[in-house]
Amino acid sequence: MNMDGDGSTTDASQLGITGEYMAGSHFVLAQAPEGDEGLNDHEDGNGSKDNLREQDIYLPIANVARIMKNAIPQTGKIAKDAKECVQECVSEFISFITSEASERCHQEKRKTINGEDILFAMSTLGFDMYVEPLKLYLQKFREAMKGEKGISGVTVTEGMGEELTEETFTNPLPAGIITADGQQQNVMVYTTSYQQIPGVQQLQFS
Amino acid sequence: MSEKTMEEKVEQATNSKNVSLPMSRVRLIMKSSPDVSCINQDALFLTTKATELFVQHLALSSYKNGSGKETNTLSYSDLANAAEETETFQFLTDILPKKILARDYLKSLEEMKKDDDSL
Repeated sequence: MNMDGDGSTTDASQLGITGEYMAGSHFVLAQAPEGDEGLNDHEDGNGSKDNLREQDIYLPIANVARIMKNAIPQTGKIAKDAKECVQECVSEFISFITSEASERCHQEKRKTINGEDILFAMSTLGFDMYVEPLKLYLQKFREAMKGEKGISGVTVTEGMGEELTEETFTNPLPAGIITADGQQQNVMVYTTSYQQIPGVQQLQFS
Repeated sequence: MSEKTMEEKVEQATNSKNVSLPMSRVRLIMKSSPDVSCINQDALFLTTKATELFVQHLALSSYKNGSGKETNTLSYSDLANAAEETETFQFLTDILPKKILARDYLKSLEEMKKDDDSL
């Protein structure tokens, strides 16, 4: 049940409630029989709001709930509306980071948002504690991608043109030629954004 | 390399490398931001992974600070409180309005009225 006419509910002179409630937030009235936790105005699973927002796209609630469950102590439980709520918060978070990263991109006249933009956005927005772990995860991810057939970021530069012969062009070549241990399997030499990351251990994924 | 192949590879990496949120959906959400044209693969991965960290962070933080300690349950109000009290989560206050009981609200309105009358 939403309070319509938000103007009146947030009007300081009307409410006279302590300062913390007046900081730009608005109220949602909840019907509450005693002891009822997890009250939800909305019936449907996605917790849709009256006004459509760009955050109407959500991540699947099952995935979100699972991550939450694994984060809290094993004996803990999670109210249904808390799960739905986090689902919405997640979309908000993604948009939050993305806008910041996108802005930086524009400032630097670039069109593609890259990893650095994301990390920088996180740092700026108060999530700098995520940055170091994320860099590690990214390394592992890149390793995983290279290990599979078809390496990302493989390009043939113009400079390599001289080494190519007619014959090599007639053969259909798969993109991923250089294997993880760096052995070349054919004549063509690719330059890549391939980074040797020395000393990365194979870490266990918990 | 076609987009589709790349997406398949990303999904493969997703499955085998412990990313538990669908990157394609994350991309959709990112694209719904205005003025976003291209997102490179690293950026997509980092965002997805960061989102996992965020969920863990938000859930645990809210649970610890909230009534969960007694009731053992993470509730909506725990989240709303976390949003208000923790600086990092303040961007969520708009979508996490605090819910108050109707009778409490009416009571405070009455009290306001009384104060006005007594002036």
